[in-house]
Amino acid sequence: MSAAKTPDPSGEIRNDLMEDPRERAPLVLGGQNFHTVSNKVAGIVEEKTSLKWILGLGLAMSIMLILVGSIGKLVHTGIGVWGNNHPVGWAWDITGFVFWIGIGHAGTLISAILFLLRQKWRTSINRAAEAMTIFAVMCAGLYPAFHVGRVWFAYWLFPFPGQMGLWPNFKSPLVWDVFAVSTYATVSILFWFVGLVPDLALMRDRAKTKLRHTVYGIFALGWRGSHRHWLNYERAYLILAGLSTPLVLSVHSIVSFDFAVSLLPGWHTTIFPPYFVAGAIFSGFAMVMTLLIIARKLVGLEHLITMRHLENMNKIMLATGTMVGYAYGMEFFIAWYSGNEYERFAFINRAIGPYAWAYWTMVSCNVIFPQLFWFKKVRTSIPAMFVLSIIVNIGMWFERFVIIVTSLHRDFIPSSWSYFRPRLVDISMFAGTFGLFFTMFLLFCRYLPMLAVFEVKGVMPAADPHHEPAAGLGSVGSGKGGHGHGAH
Amino acid sequence: MKRVPYEYAEDHSGKQWWRSLDELAGSPEVQARLAAELPPGASEPPDGVSRRDFFTTMGASFALAGVVGCRRPVEHIVPFARAPEEMVLGRPLFYATAVPFMGTAAGLLVETHEGRPTKIEGNPRHPDSHGKSSAWTQAMILDLYDPDRSTAPIEQGEARSWDDASAALAALGKQLKATQGQGLAVLTEAHRSPTTAAALAELKRQLPQARIVRYEPFSRENARLGTRIAFGKVVDTVVDLAKAQVIVTLDADPMATEGSTVKHARGWAEGRKLDTGREMARLYSVESRMSVTGANADHRLRMRSADVAYFVVAVARELQVAHGVDCGASLDKVMGETPLGDRALAYVKAIGADLARNRGRGLLLAGERQPPVVHALVHAMNLALGNIGNDKPVTHVRPFDEASEGPAGIKELADAIIKDQVTTLVVLGANPAFNAPGDALFTEAVQRPGLTLIHVGTHVDETGLLATWHVNRAHALESWGDVRAEDGTLSIQQPLIAPLFDGRTDAEVIHLLLGQKKSAYDLVREVWRQNASAGDFDRLWRRWLHDGVAESSQAVPEGVSLNAQSLTGALGAIRKLDGLEVTFQPDPHAFDGRLANIGWLQEWPDPMTKLAWGSAVLVSQKTARALGVGDGASLKVQLKDAAAGWMTATLPVLIAPGQADDSLAVTVGQGRRVGRVAKGVGVDVVGLRLSSGFGFAAAVASSVGGHDKLARTQEHWSVEGRPIVREATFAEYKENPTFVHKAEVLTAAQMVGKHKPLSLYPEWKHEGHRWGMTIDLGSCTGCGGCMVACQSENSVPIVGRTELMRSREMHWLRVDRYFEGSDSDEATSISQPMMCQQCENAPCEQVCPVAATTHSPEGLNDMAYNRCVGTRYCANNCPWKVRRFNFFHYNKAQPELRKLAFNPDVTVRSRGVMEKCTWCVQRINAAKIEGHRNGTDIIADGTIKTACEEACPTSAIVFGDLADPKSRVSRLQNDDRAYKTLEELNTRPRLSYLARIRNPNPELA
Repeated sequence: MSAAKTPDPSGEIRNDLMEDPRERAPLVLGGQNFHTVSNKVAGIVEEKTSLKWILGLGLAMSIMLILVGSIGKLVHTGIGVWGNNHPVGWAWDITGFVFWIGIGHAGTLISAILFLLRQKWRTSINRAAEAMTIFAVMCAGLYPAFHVGRVWFAYWLFPFPGQMGLWPNFKSPLVWDVFAVSTYATVSILFWFVGLVPDLALMRDRAKTKLRHTVYGIFALGWRGSHRHWLNYERAYLILAGLSTPLVLSVHSIVSFDFAVSLLPGWHTTIFPPYFVAGAIFSGFAMVMTLLIIARKLVGLEHLITMRHLENMNKIMLATGTMVGYAYGMEFFIAWYSGNEYERFAFINRAIGPYAWAYWTMVSCNVIFPQLFWFKKVRTSIPAMFVLSIIVNIGMWFERFVIIVTSLHRDFIPSSWSYFRPRLVDISMFAGTFGLFFTMFLLFCRYLPMLAVFEVKGVMPAADPHHEPAAGLGSVGSGKGGHGHGAH
Repeated sequence: MKRVPYEYAEDHSGKQWWRSLDELAGSPEVQARLAAELPPGASEPPDGVSRRDFFTTMGASFALAGVVGCRRPVEHIVPFARAPEEMVLGRPLFYATAVPFMGTAAGLLVETHEGRPTKIEGNPRHPDSHGKSSAWTQAMILDLYDPDRSTAPIEQGEARSWDDASAALAALGKQLKATQGQGLAVLTEAHRSPTTAAALAELKRQLPQARIVRYEPFSRENARLGTRIAFGKVVDTVVDLAKAQVIVTLDADPMATEGSTVKHARGWAEGRKLDTGREMARLYSVESRMSVTGANADHRLRMRSADVAYFVVAVARELQVAHGVDCGASLDKVMGETPLGDRALAYVKAIGADLARNRGRGLLLAGERQPPVVHALVHAMNLALGNIGNDKPVTHVRPFDEASEGPAGIKELADAIIKDQVTTLVVLGANPAFNAPGDALFTEAVQRPGLTLIHVGTHVDETGLLATWHVNRAHALESWGDVRAEDGTLSIQQPLIAPLFDGRTDAEVIHLLLGQKKSAYDLVREVWRQNASAGDFDRLWRRWLHDGVAESSQAVPEGVSLNAQSLTGALGAIRKLDGLEVTFQPDPHAFDGRLANIGWLQEWPDPMTKLAWGSAVLVSQKTARALGVGDGASLKVQLKDAAAGWMTATLPVLIAPGQADDSLAVTVGQGRRVGRVAKGVGVDVVGLRLSSGFGFAAAVASSVGGHDKLARTQEHWSVEGRPIVREATFAEYKENPTFVHKAEVLTAAQMVGKHKPLSLYPEWKHEGHRWGMTIDLGSCTGCGGCMVACQSENSVPIVGRTELMRSREMHWLRVDRYFEGSDSDEATSISQPMMCQQCENAPCEQVCPVAATTHSPEGLNDMAYNRCVGTRYCANNCPWKVRRFNFFHYNKAQPELRKLAFNPDVTVRSRGVMEKCTWCVQRINAAKIEGHRNGTDIIADGTIKTACEEACPTSAIVFGDLADPKSRVSRLQNDDRAYKTLEELNTRPRLSYLARIRNPNPELA
């Protein structure tokens, strides 16, 4: 990295946008040094519980209770409490599943692919994004588990050596899903945990109570920051990043197989795997954006999660949103070009049929609105990007709804056509998943370092061996020649 | 559901309490509003558990948790230590019997398991059924097991024993004997039972002053009255559609709702066969409402019922003038006033020519709702055309008796009650308080103080509620009796099970009234012993019971000759009807109301409108526009009675393709006030049905605002140009016999050889049998009998109105119905039974994650319910959408009695599992076991009949083994007309459809 702009000694946040395109904006602002970064991030965990957090957690947990109640009702009474019906066997359930699993993808992309591509701006956001991945996968996992008619036998989808010698049907994409999602969840948790270890050690070392010291100590796995530890860590992290990278592509590809492998017009499409992956990253970034804009404000991380980070994410959203738009167009083209009557009808029906409102909601939210990101003003305006990120979240939910419900509600035999209307439990359960998600996220913010402290330090100017601290700028720590991986 | 309010009981305290000024004024609006507040009935689904239920269950569970083991269940086990002959536990037995229905006898063969009847089939030896059955007769098994049946005699609301009831009846009889039966009236249904007739004759002998009245809401009264006009004597008309080359139905629906429907449908299909060498028959249908018959007609002319008389006159005149076929009457006067338009006159010409060409091979058939004069003219035309006689389409036979069954008798009876001429009324099975004509004011009449009303019925129905004594009648399936079919063929009714609630038959009750305690068995045998030589009666009796019919018991054919004078005289009765008309037909879900409490039928969609759980008023698009109403809008239908004033019913509108303009069609039988299923479903329109306009009447209609969602099983009417149903005219077919393949994406050549579509997975190897099926759309009338047969055979649950409106009906087999034509009023229609296609390369099997649906070696898509976890993926991937998911535990809330109707060979599915058509795999396996036991393992073609195939009146469905090249199904699948739906998807269905061939008259092209 070239020499950064001179940090402002006052510690205030200045305009962090570089007007000169040859230069890149710094990733850490406000005259931070290693110590202040540690203080800042660990401080969120160490300071007294704020009322805001308690209120937020209370609200999130209340919504989570709605989820618990909805699932209780569902399991007690039957799938009929949802609006699913005979042509429409899947509706909000699988829509919710694909929505949440897609959201998770941004986390993995940021932590794995951007790591491998040496994108240093990932450091401030990867921890939260990975956490988001795990929580989103938890929410997603609820749906395939509870959408089955007899949830008490859902474990039959797993291959286990039973007395009856019965195995799952390996031809079924749902079984592939089971493997894909469980692998994804496992690798994501491992990856996240490994990345946490040095910071857990930081928390252990800063702990003021015995309890904290013990708990963080256990999970820090005896991290001492030795050279050998760093070496092993770097290797392990690289391997896990390598493992996760194909998952970014494979998980959503396999999720898309649920549809693509069927023969339903509107589902049976070869474009689905890349289209789903692009959509997943698109929606994931939108969710990261929504979360970080709030978190950054609430806990004052503006120095670390800078406009440059946000703008980069907006650029990715613009790119993936446009890819998704291309996929929408291509679907229509292929429907026409294939000459397949059913395929053509399915797409015409999307655009002008009974669910046209959903289709056009999707197109506007996912393709039209994100085009505003072409404008730097929009890309760098917090309110604009916040609103747009929510629009994209909505649009991506609708994308899955459109794919699932509009394809199902009118397929081959016109006599079976019908219409799907959600019922209370459809809505309450989906709303409830947000309760679960935010509960987990708030707990994460409170008890774990939200940012990868040691990685942020690594991208600070001070970590650059060629860094020459300007006199009196208070840049202490390892200083010139130091390793870029100072623990604290 | 909105319902017409029933009349208030008069308050005899003398005080008139009122709640509002409107009510004081007695405005119909407020009465309608009051009725709407009545609680909804059993059309609610078993939709989960209410809060209250939950607490009740939980409370009980907690309470009982502590007392587990305190009690041992008391069980009575009665082993078959001395098993009846032929009884093998686990194997069904079939008994022949018959039930009186629709003016004939439905000959039945009832499957019983360990003495428990479970399934109704047609009796192959019975001339009316020929082994086939209708939806209505199929559903009667649930009437037997109706949990609302009355379980004991009831005196003024108090349950009594049969001893009490017998004593009371005997005492009453004794009283009546003192006056020679003065003041006694007996009201019966159209029973057609010689035993009941004999009992009534005995009653008449002992109580000569008694009056005996017969009433049937939908009877063949007008046809019978027509014979009196045309021939000067009363004869019964028996038609055989198979013998007719040209069939003209005039506001008649012989294939679904009138007369011997099963026989008629079979006869029609007979004439449509292409492989008999005979020319294809042609069906013209002139009618107001699109009926099943009209939907299958080669030419259908929609016309108000009121104008049909003019059409008949025009045809008669056309025959007279153009073809020299003189029916003897002078028609010019009526012709002069004819309201017929050009299109109708073109039909007259074409029909006249066709009939004249086919003398002796033609058939004109007037509908039951047409007045006697129309029937008379039709009889006369049939006679003039030589269509009557032995081996001709029409035969006349001596009637069962000459008693009237129409509305006049019951109106007279009601008047007599009001005039206090009747003090004791015995109602045998009928439900006049519900279905008597609106102007008879029967409900008011029977509530007169001083009238003793004895109701003999299986249910405490509307009449039973008013009765002094309700005595529980034995159901037709649990009693000894006899019944004659329309042609006089005698069947002995034998009980399939001991009367569940110790009910008695009509004949038994009549004898109790006469102070004699006789069993129904003795009564029936007594009647028939007299008719047989003493020595061999027992042998004969056993033969009759076994066959279900008595040999050569048909009625004597009657020769007829025209009475031209009386016919001409009667023509003066033809009147024009201005404005709107309202027509009455039996409700598909309830018949005349008697079947309304059967859930299968309520959920069984109307064959044409696909409406379930309710009733509606059918109007044409044009009339709807004129009235300013749309689908579901509330329409107030009113007509005026000279004595009783305006009669009103408010129904939701259903815009029906093919409905005649200015004609409102309503169905009678819904809007019952009792019954857990029937109550609150549909609208009671009996009040509109006056004895003067029993078939149709002039009416006014106005929109009253409000809206009611119609519960329909099919929401989309167009086939969207997809080649799912295929048809051609006979001429096109002759020109290009392989026309069905024109519509295919992949040609037949591409489906085989090196262009064969690829499959990712290895091909199945089918060994042994390869089950297959064909459905001939040319024979399928769309009557829907197969649906109920399937439901009965496979214990398919009903889901209720609310669930049905959420598209969750469970029918494994549905009958799709599509309309064709740009003008919805002039649309034609085609029906297609749709069920699992048993694909060889099944998309459902590949996607099931737990392998719950798998391929059998014989090519069926088997469903292992207890392996199913319910992902619904299979249903999503099924292009035919024939898989059904148990969204709730639909079978949980079944009353104990209802459970007796379950087929023990079929698993009752729980909530959360997918189910689907299995091609009655239990029947296949039973036949395979039987074949194996015989040591041959050979199953002769036709041994296995799926339930739908067995019920289908026209034998449109054929099931068999494709591995046997000589089987019927193999031959049919190679027929020119055979095609598979969605073949290009390469799922390789085992079910082929045969395209429909129509035979339009080139003169009308």
